[in-house]
Amino acid sequence: MERTPLQSILLYLAIITTAGIILFPIYWLFITALASTDELSSLPPTFIPRDPDWAIFSRVLTERPIFLWLFNSTIVALGSVILSMIVSVLAGYGLSRFRVRGGQSLGLFILTAKMLPATLLVIPLFAVFRNIGMIGSLWTVIIAHSTLIIPFTTWMLKGYFDTIPRELEQAAMVDGCGPMAAMMRVVLPISTPGLAATALYAFVLSWADYAYARTFLQGAQTNWTANMGIASMRGEYTTDWNEISAAAVFVATPIMLIYLFLERYLVGGLTAGAEK
Amino acid sequence: MGNISIKNVHKNYGQLNVLKEFSLDIEDGEFVVLVGPSGCGKSTILKILAGLEPASGGSIEIGGRDVTDLAPGDRDIAMVFQNYALYPHLTVAQNIGFGLKMRKMPQSEIDKRVLEAARTLAVDPYLNRRPKDLSGGQRQRVALGRAIVREPQAFMMDEPLSNLDAKLRVHMRAEIGALHKRVGVTTVYVTHDQVEAMTMADRIVIMRAGEIQQIADPETLFQHPVNLFVAGFIGSPGMNFLSAAVDHSGSQPQIELFGSKVPVGHRALAGSKDVIAGIRPEHLNLGEGAVNIQVHTNLVESLGSEKYVYFDGAEHSINAGSETDDDNSKGLIARLSHAGKLFEGEKLTLSFDPQDLHLFDAKSQKALA
Repeated sequence: MERTPLQSILLYLAIITTAGIILFPIYWLFITALASTDELSSLPPTFIPRDPDWAIFSRVLTERPIFLWLFNSTIVALGSVILSMIVSVLAGYGLSRFRVRGGQSLGLFILTAKMLPATLLVIPLFAVFRNIGMIGSLWTVIIAHSTLIIPFTTWMLKGYFDTIPRELEQAAMVDGCGPMAAMMRVVLPISTPGLAATALYAFVLSWADYAYARTFLQGAQTNWTANMGIASMRGEYTTDWNEISAAAVFVATPIMLIYLFLERYLVGGLTAGAEK
Repeated sequence: MGNISIKNVHKNYGQLNVLKEFSLDIEDGEFVVLVGPSGCGKSTILKILAGLEPASGGSIEIGGRDVTDLAPGDRDIAMVFQNYALYPHLTVAQNIGFGLKMRKMPQSEIDKRVLEAARTLAVDPYLNRRPKDLSGGQRQRVALGRAIVREPQAFMMDEPLSNLDAKLRVHMRAEIGALHKRVGVTTVYVTHDQVEAMTMADRIVIMRAGEIQQIADPETLFQHPVNLFVAGFIGSPGMNFLSAAVDHSGSQPQIELFGSKVPVGHRALAGSKDVIAGIRPEHLNLGEGAVNIQVHTNLVESLGSEKYVYFDGAEHSINAGSETDDDNSKGLIARLSHAGKLFEGEKLTLSFDPQDLHLFDAKSQKALA
């Protein structure tokens, strides 16, 4: 259907407004890093800094172990993604394909785990990790993040696997695959959009966490994640917002790059042509 | 040898018995069609044969080898699914060659056999395309290619034509028939379409509610149905059924239909008081003949070369066979060729030959031979 000029104008207006709302915090992050202290507290606010301090980025990198913190965050996020994907792919596939006694209630039970507030789990998890002497290890955060991620990703993937016709696996089994090979060779390759969306969700959740990392990774800075590092930059009496914002730019960049990389897998329609 | 022997196979889901004791011997190279209404168990037995569902009991041999407990991939069969089930992430060539790759065949041999199968089915120009870039008919051919390339002992086909439009279905029906003649592989074909069954099968197995009703070649099924269900299922439009009382007073039994006494010979009628008489729509003729009936037409449907004339069965009306053919709900049907112009509400004289009557016991619904 052809759009009238008025419809086009309204459509673009809506898109520009939405994009503006979404992009404004990122823009403001940059501005806060670059503007002078006076400009930051001026009213009306300054939208374009008069004398941007580009050196702030290199200064942050030399004064703070940003790359080490980013590396730790990456290890934690990737570890959480890998661990949660292994568990939730198998669990989601099992819930989708096999009739288990009480499977429906088991599924709902898993989902209720997601409904518990994260802070509620911090205390018992801390007690468990302390008892087994793991406090301070990145593994504690990986495991803790996975407990938050797995319930939701299992449901997400179960829903995705439900949309894949069973006949595809049956055809693969007649062609000589066992149940596991049918999943690996047929189901998973065509589930790429679902897997990508799930992995992205897991990565973002892990990357954005502060509470778990702050609780389990006490002690030496070398074990901190990026969010802990940024939080530590807030002083008791003064806070250098330029520095914090510059560090935040470094922390936000990987997520944006990962989204750009995964975006092409997030499109649906990979099963097109399997059936009629 | 791709002969199949099925002995006492049955399937229960808890208390529910969806497939009653099923036994059938299929010769090497035979084309057997399992046909019946939805939920009759025909797809269940096919899946059990393919190993995709376990049987609750019984045994299956394919090519003289007991395969009852073997995985689908170890049974040396190939299957064509109703919705084709092509692997969407693979090309046509990879789809056809998938089964060979799983069997660790050298790539050069796979390529050779894939090309051969693709040529047989005229899909060789599309070998590098993905399934989504193919038409329905081409996808169906690729699914067939995936089956024939393996050179298995038997093909299992689960309503492979039901997703195609009417014209393409007729075309593919002929192609599958020709393919079967060429490769000669034992085929078990499931359909709910009795026309497919009649045109393709060497033998037809008619099923209802998980039970075999009759196993016979198409001609025998049509001429000598063993019960009311088979008589109503086979033939299009379905057979007309009329209730009739038997008169044993004369030298030979007679039944009364539309006011006429119809002699019915000595066909196992001894003792039967009430019977159901069946007459196929095409055995009713316009004008006078051996037995005449006067009818008022309710509805006339013209198909061009012939007309379906619906009329009321009056006191003979029964509700038999309606499970399989909703044409019967409109009344009795005569299928008349070269009938000229006919109108609704018109009074017509139809006739039939008593030889064409099928008689069934009213209680057991079994044919009276």
